[in-house]
Amino acid sequence: MEDRLDIEVGLHRDAPRKAMERFEQFALGHNLPMGLIFKFQLALDELLTNAVSYAFEDDKGDEVEPSISLALAVTDSTLEATVEDNGRPFNPLRDAPVPDLSLSAEDRRVGGLGIHLTKAFVQTLSYERVDGRNRLNLVQPIGAHSEEQR
Amino acid sequence: MKVETSYAGSIAVAEVDGRIDSANAKEFDEELSAIIGKGVSSLVIDCGGLSYISSAGLRVLLIAIRRTNEAGGGLALCAVPDHVREVLEVSGFVRLTKVFATADEAKESFAQ
Repeated sequence: MEDRLDIEVGLHRDAPRKAMERFEQFALGHNLPMGLIFKFQLALDELLTNAVSYAFEDDKGDEVEPSISLALAVTDSTLEATVEDNGRPFNPLRDAPVPDLSLSAEDRRVGGLGIHLTKAFVQTLSYERVDGRNRLNLVQPIGAHSEEQR
Repeated sequence: MKVETSYAGSIAVAEVDGRIDSANAKEFDEELSAIIGKGVSSLVIDCGGLSYISSAGLRVLLIAIRRTNEAGGGLALCAVPDHVREVLEVSGFVRLTKVFATADEAKESFAQ
């Protein structure tokens, strides 16, 4: 099993799920703990779903072909991922709405919940805008998850 | 994803099997809306077979919580797997809906 996997995600509504199936195979192939796989998958799913839903909503048929990609890597001590799209500049870590979890069901809005979960479930997250692309880096220590979560 | 529902008066128990994400949240919403549309005010969602839920699925649950609250009942969850429970806790959903060990306990909470 390769220690790296690059996935061209696509733009369809089903694209994040298909990418997550490949992530799961990759993670299971490296015998990563189930708890870690679940949380990291949720974070990736939320970021990819955001990109599919919003990154190209202002697209006016520019010359650039829309693309979303996911790169995975496993080291001895970390699981790492890079999510990239060439859509409009957007830093979800800074610009996503922050949900008010104290509100009632009637007053709650779901916006921002995906990023909230992503931040809660991934230890190190960073954003940069590089060459017209949004790039999110995720790093999770593998040792941070104990045996009982397997 | 598969949803199997049993009805007892205004109470229904929906057993959800599989995963709920952005690819099928719309179908999940249609399933729950159809159940509530049959006059169900108290809905128990049995999560025993729920392997995964993302914020797209939480959005559907929030809508169902509102609709059942409006109908004078509510929504309860039961048999929630640990990983899913953590999602509910981090997203604050444990404040919005009650979580029970079994479907019977959830149903009893509505009967009282």
